[in-house]
Amino acid sequence: MIRNYFKTAWRNIRGNKFYTGINVIGLALALVISLFILLWVQDELSFNRFNTQAKNIYKVGVIGGTGPTKQVFSVVIAPVATYAKAELPEVKDAVRIMSIGGNTPFKYKGKVFTEDKVAFTDPSYFAIFGFNLISGDKRDPFPSDQSVVISRAVAERYFGSEDPLGKVVILGHDEPMKVTGVIDNAPANSTVKYDLLLPMSRFNRLAYTEGNVNYDGKTRLASMDADWSNFSFETYLHLKDGVNLNQVAKKLQAIHERNKPEDKPVPYVTQSLLLTHLYKIGESGGAIETVKTFSIVAVMILIIACINYINLSTARSMLRAREVSMRKIIGAGKAQLFIQFVVETALVFAIATIIAIGAMYVLLPFYNDFSGKVLTLSLSNYQIWLCIAATLLFTLAATSIYPALLLSSFEPLKALKGKIAGSLGNVAFRRVLVVVQFSVSVVLIVGTLIIGRQLNFIRNKNLGYDKENVFSFSMRTDMQKHYDAVKAELLKQPGVISVTRLGANIINNQGWTGDNDWEGKASTSNLLFRPVQVDETSMAFFKFPILEGKMFTGAVADSAHFIVNETAVKEMGLKNPIGKRMRLWKTNGTITGVVKDFHITSMHNKIEPVVFTYSPSNCWRVYVKTTGIQAHKAVEAATQQWKQYNGQIPFNYSFLDEAFNNLYDKEQRTSALFNLFSAVAIVLSCLGLLGLATYTAQVKTREIGIRKVLGASVTGVVQLLTREFMLLVGISLAIAIPIAWYAMNQWLADFAYRVTIGWQVFALAGVFAMLIAFITVSFQSVRAALANPIKSLRSE
Amino acid sequence: MLSLQHISKYYQTGGNKTFVLNDLSLDIDQGEFVSIMGPSGSGKSTLLNIIGMLDEPTDGYHYFMDEPVHQLKEKQRSALYKQYIGFVFQAYHLIDELTVYENIETPLIYQNIKGAERKALVADMLDRFNIVGKKDLFPAQLSGGQQQLVGIARALIGKPKLLLADEPTGNLNSKQGEDIMELFKKINKEDGVTIIQVTHSEKNAEYGSRIINLLDGRIESTTTL
Repeated sequence: MIRNYFKTAWRNIRGNKFYTGINVIGLALALVISLFILLWVQDELSFNRFNTQAKNIYKVGVIGGTGPTKQVFSVVIAPVATYAKAELPEVKDAVRIMSIGGNTPFKYKGKVFTEDKVAFTDPSYFAIFGFNLISGDKRDPFPSDQSVVISRAVAERYFGSEDPLGKVVILGHDEPMKVTGVIDNAPANSTVKYDLLLPMSRFNRLAYTEGNVNYDGKTRLASMDADWSNFSFETYLHLKDGVNLNQVAKKLQAIHERNKPEDKPVPYVTQSLLLTHLYKIGESGGAIETVKTFSIVAVMILIIACINYINLSTARSMLRAREVSMRKIIGAGKAQLFIQFVVETALVFAIATIIAIGAMYVLLPFYNDFSGKVLTLSLSNYQIWLCIAATLLFTLAATSIYPALLLSSFEPLKALKGKIAGSLGNVAFRRVLVVVQFSVSVVLIVGTLIIGRQLNFIRNKNLGYDKENVFSFSMRTDMQKHYDAVKAELLKQPGVISVTRLGANIINNQGWTGDNDWEGKASTSNLLFRPVQVDETSMAFFKFPILEGKMFTGAVADSAHFIVNETAVKEMGLKNPIGKRMRLWKTNGTITGVVKDFHITSMHNKIEPVVFTYSPSNCWRVYVKTTGIQAHKAVEAATQQWKQYNGQIPFNYSFLDEAFNNLYDKEQRTSALFNLFSAVAIVLSCLGLLGLATYTAQVKTREIGIRKVLGASVTGVVQLLTREFMLLVGISLAIAIPIAWYAMNQWLADFAYRVTIGWQVFALAGVFAMLIAFITVSFQSVRAALANPIKSLRSE
Repeated sequence: MLSLQHISKYYQTGGNKTFVLNDLSLDIDQGEFVSIMGPSGSGKSTLLNIIGMLDEPTDGYHYFMDEPVHQLKEKQRSALYKQYIGFVFQAYHLIDELTVYENIETPLIYQNIKGAERKALVADMLDRFNIVGKKDLFPAQLSGGQQQLVGIARALIGKPKLLLADEPTGNLNSKQGEDIMELFKKINKEDGVTIIQVTHSEKNAEYGSRIINLLDGRIESTTTL
């Protein structure tokens, strides 16, 4: 019986190569794309799930700033962890992480390694995040503050097959660190992953016990646990089961306010470790939006492919009505026929699946490159296969049930007499499906166009300062001390126009401060500023347009002068800002200038209050303006200077244009993906349309023949055949445009500066969809119209 | 075996009833070979389809093998005809994608008969109809007469009590038609299968034991040979 099903199915598939081709190609294409998307989604959703206690681990955040500068900080002050662990019964354990940042040099046996994933942390790190030591003392991973725990990957890179324990590496220039533990490499789907971990006690000693952190210029702080101002520590709490999170947050706030009353109110928030990858802490949005969008797109693409299959097979069912009737008359039951058609679908599906999985193997490297994942299609990763199996099952069910039901429910006598054609009530249903398909395509086309426009808008937006042909790099302490010499050397080089320095990254400033005061500041105000330290050349270098007052001249008095931007003036509520009293940190001074607003973070954010302070000694980033053509010479010279002060540590620089574009890396990827998705959706929809048009032409062969005998022209016949399809595409447009408009407005809402969605976008998408549908359909129609009527009218 | 009493079939068109069959009564006994004749539109095929339970009358009583067909549900009806009735069509209606062998085998598959038994039954039938050499050919590779032979073999494989044939020789030349009629006669005599055929040909009608002439949905005359 089963064998018979397969045999018949196989013959039917082979006998109709055109339809089988369309179906297999369509299904395979959709499967490849949507499986890749779903695998990506699955990976995104799997973050931190490897950690068995993840549900009890919470990240701590704090809300700072008022008005437009309200922010949720995902780094908090150091004492929070210490106090929480000591005072709160809900807290089992706590850990702080302070990332050291990129390009940290380590030396071993004369070789220099620059590391990106280095952090100071507490010993509880290993237990909380599930990174148990594979060698070293679990109870005491950092026996001294000269200890370092490294990942297996680092151990292999540094020491090869030698035992890493006890080896001494040099951090920076001259800090010997002894390897006291090795941990497994963190899984790719961990949000917390560091390769080298240094004890937090070391940071405490260097910055506090031996350093001189102070906020009033006098009193040195004894330890980091007494510092209630330095928001630098990623903090996680390991809580007991069933703890009230709001209570915990309230208690954290109470601890903070008790120890630093002037910060009141300082609300705390918590976030489950399971959510840290996809959600912003304390705010809506985050990567989850992309996950949602892509999931929808994947399902949409699958639906389009299913619709193709359903449309083609129900359309063709008419041609098979005779066979089905005959089978019924000679004794086939409904169930038996149903199974026969399901088997047929399953077979087409199996072919498509094999092709799809083959294609996925081939495309995997490109996918990994594109998505930034390290996916392998190994048989051992059962989750991948689970995902694939679920998708296949869903699609198979969607494609097989309806056509099989339809086919098995024919009334045999009518079908034999050929009456079925007119009575097939599913013509309307097929139209609905085509409309759904094209609506999805149009939405994706509109999405593609708008994302493209927005990116273009960002790229060409005037930032409010001069970033042309400028490259920049950060100085290390030695170089910072000899900045004047460096500058003099650089200026001698051909290709260098001017050189300046700032205490900030101008492209994407991450600094904030709420430690400020000014004449008439409201007591409820907790306005945050983005501070930018400059020297006397900086303002002219970037051509910041000064609206009022004057620039810094380098006079001694300048260190008590502030220049602010327009937004700052507005948010501070000042009428005549020049000459007004202002305090920043411990510096009391006056506002001496106002500059026009400019962008100092990504276009996602509104322009925020900025304050320039004259503080050359705190400028750590060099900006070099080049002639453009000779930029490489300027870079070469800077490299020479770097080597002179930093030896083997690699030189890292970036052109501002590039750095600016990198801010929108995520959006550029999204844009590329949307291009791909809409192309696939369009190809799939057109495949379906092509199949339907071919079918219509076949069914209407007789009608066309009669019309031609009666004198219809070729154009008339083509019109007859294409009119309906064009109407359907038209309806799709009407449905798709509002959806696209709404969806894209949501997407754009994430940008503070964005394009307006004009009618042109929709017109363009509409014309494009119409044109492509017309070309697809008319190809078949013209063929049908040119056919000789004598042939088509010859009765069997 | 079969009794039709006051059977009518009509369509409502506007205010008028268009009768296809008009108060027709007919009894057929086991072992008969009945030919139904009549001009186009006289209701021959409709009558045959009603007997075969592929169509339903508007009015009247229909008994088959002592079962009141007019009272049965769709499912019971189809079970009944699947068990007792075989169909032969003018246009053969073989399944194009299946070979001769498979076409004949298909009804057995739907009756859930085991593979080995199917094999024996089909081999028997091929042998009897002298088409063993053609068993792996597809319908398109056969002549009309051969196709109809396969159609009859398929109708008979399920051992029906009643064979219904709607113009079985309509698409064949006279020689092929004669062969089929001889075959019908043989099946009727040797296997005791009751046959009802619709035909236009006087000559073919005379193979039967009774000829029923229809006109405008009524029996005009009956001739017993």
